[in-house]
Amino acid sequence: MTIAKKHSVLSILLILGLPLFAVIHLFAGQIDVSFNDVINGLFNYNENIVNQLIIREIRFPRMLIAIIAGASLSVAGLLMQTLFNNPLAGPYVLGINSGSSLFVALSIMTGIPFFTSELGLISNALIGAFIFGLIILFFSRMVKTQVSLLLVGLMLGSFISAFVSLLQSVSNAQELKIFTLWALGSLQKVSFEQLPIIIAVALIGILSVFLIVKPLNILVLGETEAKLLGVNIRKTRLIIIAITAILTGLVTAFCGPIAFVGLAVPNLVRILFKTQNHSLLVFASLLFGGMFILICDIIIQFLEPYFMLPINVLTSMIGAPLVIFFILKRLK
Amino acid sequence: MIRTENLEIGYSSSLLKVENLALNAEKVYFLIGRNGAGKSTFLKTILGQLKSISGKVFLKEQNIESIDIVELPKKISFVTAHFPSVDFLRVEEFIALGRSPHSNYFGKQTQRDLELIDDCLSILNIENLKGRFTSELSDGEKQLVAIAKSLAQETDVILLDEPTAFLDYANKKIVLNSLSKVSKELGKCIILSNHDIDLCVEHNGEYLIVDSIEKTITHHSTLNKERILEIAFR
Repeated sequence: MTIAKKHSVLSILLILGLPLFAVIHLFAGQIDVSFNDVINGLFNYNENIVNQLIIREIRFPRMLIAIIAGASLSVAGLLMQTLFNNPLAGPYVLGINSGSSLFVALSIMTGIPFFTSELGLISNALIGAFIFGLIILFFSRMVKTQVSLLLVGLMLGSFISAFVSLLQSVSNAQELKIFTLWALGSLQKVSFEQLPIIIAVALIGILSVFLIVKPLNILVLGETEAKLLGVNIRKTRLIIIAITAILTGLVTAFCGPIAFVGLAVPNLVRILFKTQNHSLLVFASLLFGGMFILICDIIIQFLEPYFMLPINVLTSMIGAPLVIFFILKRLK
Repeated sequence: MIRTENLEIGYSSSLLKVENLALNAEKVYFLIGRNGAGKSTFLKTILGQLKSISGKVFLKEQNIESIDIVELPKKISFVTAHFPSVDFLRVEEFIALGRSPHSNYFGKQTQRDLELIDDCLSILNIENLKGRFTSELSDGEKQLVAIAKSLAQETDVILLDEPTAFLDYANKKIVLNSLSKVSKELGKCIILSNHDIDLCVEHNGEYLIVDSIEKTITHHSTLNKERILEIAFR
């Protein structure tokens, strides 16, 4: 099978797989709903019918946010990996999630009403992600090896967590409750009415990635080579950090921290597709990432009668061993 | 093709004075000198990556410092000493990146790009490598593939930083033969830094010799081995 043909087959599988799992996801969960409930819930909504209410207010937003979270984090991870020339990079391991968390914590603890509003929460999550993106960019200029960058990222994460704990210990009960609920992380806090703004922000981030596919492809060769081929490195770096901040900040603001997806998915995509063509990698990471979180969440709903499994816990259980595997493969 | 005027090069202070040079197409120039004598500094200056201390470099009568960063890669290309190690990057994808200075905003490949990539592979006799992963190539193959990428860039001038450094004798010969062939057939001006004086002499190119005592770079059309050793390594 030629490379091009293999790419087509894989792409078609992903294109078919995402809606398939999205539909399964809609019907997963403990209360059985019919196909008609789904259609009516979305297009002919009657809030007095419980099943329609479940679809519209709970399952549909949860399904969509699962796709958006998976897609956004995966593309953010891909961007980090290409920018730092480091397949082990990702928004979570480099402390960008934590940056978001810190800013959300700060904003909640200030007690200013705007900051605790939806818009305030998102903007703070984005700003936090952007600032910590710049910090890790700064460190990446100073460290030589791929593993030391990860260590810096992990330490940065621990450092931020310490501050967040400090904030928690000095905050009052009400603030603590808001923050703790947020920090648990879940796909279930988004309502139907919030979807437009989430979709809009995610689309802005994702579509901008397609505008920088050419510099991304060249950056694979490293910054020295990229410069020699006419890439404006400074500008490209800032754009990549900004997009990563939008995508990571958005997901962190609405779902809390979700670990390892951004690291694992792009690596799996590269292993499957065996290419460095970023238009293909971005496209596949979006679909595969969306599918990955959908499947995780289907498992979670399946286990719901027995115990509550937070999404962050499941992605860590799958992601962390994968990361160890990637590290072993690179270091041997 | 390349002309220099009262050029002095270095990082913060003057390291070397360069004789006024006039380097032409269809020629291979061997840049010879001690380690740390300033060969890379010279290449970087010609490449426009490093500002000269004083004096000017002209590329086709255009001052290199006045050429836009986006335009420069269409006129001059550089083969670095270290081949980038990247997983899952196939040879044809790698060479296609050499087309990027010419391609549109989205980097779309045209039919001509694809044909040109094939031409670059065939002039170097490495058509068989096209579908391979760059991470699986031998050192000699990597060097030829890197040269193919700079050919795909369609520049008048190609600079190479020690292209034969890590190669065995047979591969050194293949690389140098290929460069001679390319300079003649495609009319390129090629400058490469090199330590293998015996091989350079065989290829009867011209010499740019770094004299680390006199702190100069001088141009010699012909030289024998003893004379080179005398100037460069005294």
